[in-house]
Amino acid sequence: MLGLDADRLRADLNRLLAFLFHQGILDEQYLQLQQLQDESSPNFVSEVVNIYFHESEKLLRNLRSLLMDREFSDYDKMGIHLNQFIGSSSSIGAKRVRNVCVAFRAASDQNNRAGCLRALELLEHEYCILKNKLHELFQIEQQRLLAAGVRYPMLN
Amino acid sequence: MAPTSASGDPPSDKDNWDNGRLARRQQLLTEIVLRNKLTTLVFDGDTTCWVLEQVLLRSYGVQTQGVDNGRDAIAFIAFGAKFNLIIIKKILPIMNGLEADSLNGSGCKILGVTACSRESERQAFLAIGVDVFIEKPLDPEHLVPILRELDGE
Repeated sequence: MLGLDADRLRADLNRLLAFLFHQGILDEQYLQLQQLQDESSPNFVSEVVNIYFHESEKLLRNLRSLLMDREFSDYDKMGIHLNQFIGSSSSIGAKRVRNVCVAFRAASDQNNRAGCLRALELLEHEYCILKNKLHELFQIEQQRLLAAGVRYPMLN
Repeated sequence: MAPTSASGDPPSDKDNWDNGRLARRQQLLTEIVLRNKLTTLVFDGDTTCWVLEQVLLRSYGVQTQGVDNGRDAIAFIAFGAKFNLIIIKKILPIMNGLEADSLNGSGCKILGVTACSRESERQAFLAIGVDVFIEKPLDPEHLVPILRELDGE
């Protein structure tokens, strides 16, 4: 009876992961992260993802403040921020966020301010989705571990 | 396990489709056991990538030294620290000309990683003599052959 919760949660986890892959929100690189997690670093994935969130929110703030400046003209600087965002997003498998950044960078390369603003809106939106979904993923995983732990109290 | 495609999965496979891919990746990850001790210098200004690249290398038993700025990277190289592999995301001034040659001569490989490269960036990296140039993320498919070569297989 006790094991059912853990099994159900595992199924929920797999379903959510499958959904995220099918929607293109995550790609195979995310699996790479999971592979690097083991008993010696059991929270590796959530730790790296939290670093990513922290860095990304800084980048988003920088991008927004650049574009909000009426006298903005430093597209090179924007390109540098975007390169960083592309790199880190690729590294954790955040496919949709990465793709929006690439389109954003193309607009920036053309000094297209309106295009950049549109891209920034889309980027903030996609980032929000990603963050919510990953938090959901981590929550289910935590619950699953707790449920699995109940089954073998001696191992706690 | 045969890979399943992302589209056209029957509903019952959705829970398991990623296990096939995971198993294949697992294979690649544990495929090599290094005989020699290899050391790597990893230079990446972005924390997420910096952490991931080092963890990936360490999972193969490679010793890593990470730096997050160009000055420290140059300092390590200039003061004669010996590395088998240098992973850089940006051109360092010291990598031009002579330094790159002497590094290459000592059997050290240089791997350039970049986010979504432009042709100009690629050319700049190749001009200073990087051995391999890849787009992020750094993954086993690119890394394993390099490690094998450095290990002397």
